[in-house]
Parts: sequence; C-alpha cells; structure tokens
Amino acid sequence: MRRRRNQLTIAAVTFLLGVLVVLQLRTQASSAAFAGLSSQDLTVLVANLDDRNDQLRTEVATLERELGVLAQNTERGDVSVDELRADLRRVRLYAGIDPAMGQGVAVTVRGPIDGTGIEDLVNELRNAGAEAMAIDDIRLVPGVVAIGAPGAVTLGSTALEDPFTLNAIGAADKLTGSLARPGGIIAQLSATQPEVTVEVTPLERIAVPATDRQLVPSHGHPRL
Amino acid sequence: MTSMTARLRAIPTWQVTLGFALLGLGFLIAAQLAAEGPRVRYTTQERSPLIETATQLQKRQDELKARILDLREQIQGTEHAGEGSAELVRQLNDQLQEARIAAGLIPLTGTGIVLQLEDSQEPVGPGADQADYLVGARDLRSIVEELWAAGAEAIAINGERITPTSAVIDVGPSILVNAAYLAGPYQITALGPEDLYSRLSGSMGFVDLIRTRAQGFGIQVSIAEPEAVDIPAFAGTVTLRYARPEPSAQASP
Repeated sequence: MRRRRNQLTIAAVTFLLGVLVVLQLRTQASSAAFAGLSSQDLTVLVANLDDRNDQLRTEVATLERELGVLAQNTERGDVSVDELRADLRRVRLYAGIDPAMGQGVAVTVRGPIDGTGIEDLVNELRNAGAEAMAIDDIRLVPGVVAIGAPGAVTLGSTALEDPFTLNAIGAADKLTGSLARPGGIIAQLSATQPEVTVEVTPLERIAVPATDRQLVPSHGHPRL
Repeated sequence: MTSMTARLRAIPTWQVTLGFALLGLGFLIAAQLAAEGPRVRYTTQERSPLIETATQLQKRQDELKARILDLREQIQGTEHAGEGSAELVRQLNDQLQEARIAAGLIPLTGTGIVLQLEDSQEPVGPGADQADYLVGARDLRSIVEELWAAGAEAIAINGERITPTSAVIDVGPSILVNAAYLAGPYQITALGPEDLYSRLSGSMGFVDLIRTRAQGFGIQVSIAEPEAVDIPAFAGTVTLRYARPEPSAQASP
C-alpha cells in the first residue's frame, strides 16, 4: 500500500515536471524570435508574416482542391492521370527539373564581382519573390553556388564570365524595385565593390533553362 | 564518512527519484517565472499589441504548415491508391516521388553534419558595431554556400528546408528563412557524403569565415557529426505564379 502511494507521488511529480518542461520550451520558442525587436522591426515582421501566411493559405487551397478531385476520381473508379500530370508539372517546374518561362528581370553584371556579391544579389531576388533563376543559362537550384574572389568566381564547376546575365522570373516591378531601392543590394554593391556595375532590365518574357544536376540525393533516403 | 554512506544507502530509491524530480521541478518553476518576467518588463505599450499579433501570426503559420504537410501526405496516399491499375499511373507516381524529393518536399535521413552558431559572449569593443557580435543572415548564408560547395545534398536551418526559392534575411535581430522567423542558436543541418566535414574544413572560404567571425568577434561555432541527420520536408508553397513550363519541354509521358 505504501509502495503504491510512493509510486503515485512520483507519477504526479513527473507529470507536473513534463508539463513544465513543455511550457518552458513553448515560452522560449514563442518569445525568443520577437524579443529585442524594435516597434519598427515588429511592424515589418507582422507585415511579412501576414504576406507569407497568405501564400501558405493559397497553397493549402490548391492542395485541398487537388485532393478533392483525386478523391472524387477514386470514388468513381477513375484513374487520375491528368491530375498526376498536372502535379508532376508543378513540382518539376518548382524544383528546376523543367525549363521555365515568364515575366521577370534580366540583371547584367559587369566588372570584378566576388561570389558573395552574387549570392547576395540572388538572395535579394529570392526575397522579392523570384520563382526561377539562371546565371548564363545555368539554373540556380540548391547546390549551385557562386564562390570565389573578385573576377575569379565559379558557379558550380563553370568559371563565370564578365559580363554575365542573371535571369529571374517573377513580378518584374517587384524584382526591379527591390534591387534598386535606396540602401538596397545595388547601392550596397556600389559602395563595397565600386568597379562593379549592375543593370536591371524588366522583361515581359524571359526563359530559364532546366538544371542538368542530379537533384535526388545519393547519400540519403526518404524518412518514413 | 562511513556512517554517511550507510545512511545514504538506507534511503529508498523512490525517495532519491522523487528528490531529483523535485529538484528539476523547482528549477523549471524558477525558469518559467524568470522567462515571464523580462518579457512583461520590456514590453512597452506600443510594442505589446505588435508582439501579440506576431505571435498569433506565427502560430497560424505553424498550423498552415502542418496542414500543408498533412494534405501532401493525403494526396500522395490517394495517388498511390490507383497504383497497379495501369503502367502509366505507376510511372507517373515514380516520377512524382523523384520530383518531390528534388523539390525538398520529402523528409530525408542520411549521413551528414550539424553546425551550430551562437551570438558572441565577448564584450563589444570600443567603437565596434554590436551587430558584428551577433549571428546574422550573412553568416548563415555563407555556411550554407560553403556546405553546398563541399557537396551537401540537402540543408535545413532550424527545421526550415532550403529550397530553390529560400531567402535568408535579417529582420532586426532575428532571421527570416522561408516564411519563418528564427532565433538563435542556429542549427544548420546538412546531408551529404561521409567526408562532408573534412571537405568543409578544407575549404578556404570556410576557414576564412571561421577566422573572421569566430576568432575575430567570438561568434560561437560548434560542429557535430551524428550517426545520421534528419532533414525535414519544405512546408511552403511550390505553386509558382509567374513561371510557366516552356511549351516545347513538357514532362515526358
């Protein structure tokens, strides 16, 4: 009887301990990212979060529609070949396995830029919503990075030429605006690498080729 | 001394367990109270509704991401349900699986390394910029670039998968990756060949980075090589709004 009560006590304390651990972790997780931000930073952050949540909502809607059609087809005993093809096109386009086409910007870079400068430019374009990019016909996918000292940059295994052109598909006005804004990436580059010139041309139609890289990892496998 | 050991032995194990549990409990209660404290104190009237909104939006984002992962799983399940019905369907499913892996939509496990970056604990020198003593987006991007160059095949930062559209930017002292605001310590997990670490540490760029950031400003960098690393799936949008497939080059079958 006494032993039983001991066990109960331990069980109760351990339970409470567990609850507190979770509570503590949650407290830290939720506040840590926002701690120390000024009101101005917070305003940017809230606008950003709102915008990105909208994108996620759109994706949820797309997936729900897709699942609905698939489920209906299954119920009727139909094979969903069209849906499978559409899904495949969508994912391949995103991954860089298929060539892409659309409005965007052509960014011509002249002069001895370094790898970091190019990566900053690419990062800025991604942040402005670039959907598919290529430098001199090399599609930018995970694993393809610009590395090297000014004037000696390699992209993957290819030496980059001077000048080179970075093509980016996305909302042309947004991409242009984000690169050219005061204090933006072009302004920063001209301060740190004054011999480099960057020219941005918005285009209604721009083509980005498919990657020639093997994108399925050979050192890992899907986790179930 | 002997009687002390004897007395300790006489204490039933459950009391020891309980003792430790209570010790942990006390510590956690204190930590919880401490965590609540500064937040309330720092929150000015102007900031508090903004933090509230941001926290709610972040919570909503976590729900949306979970929903996306769940829907993708259901879609995959339904697509596979038609399997065996036709060779074409089987082929399409195989291609879809491959494309999803390439796009970062499937969680992976394999050999790799984990790098952790933490803000400097060193005092800011006179005339120095405090931002140099914090881990910034540029630091994370440099590490990610060096990892790709060293042969990494999949990378995630604090659970956010790096995809073809991932940007890593500073917003105040926190860092935005994909749609998520991250706070330190930052863990960069990379899947790749077994010698990924030696390849990385042999790279000039990485050595330079460590010299300027770790030795120069005291940014804390630690590296672990676990048996296996887990890379999560990307829980964001893969629906492109401006890019269309080139009409001449459609997916094959």
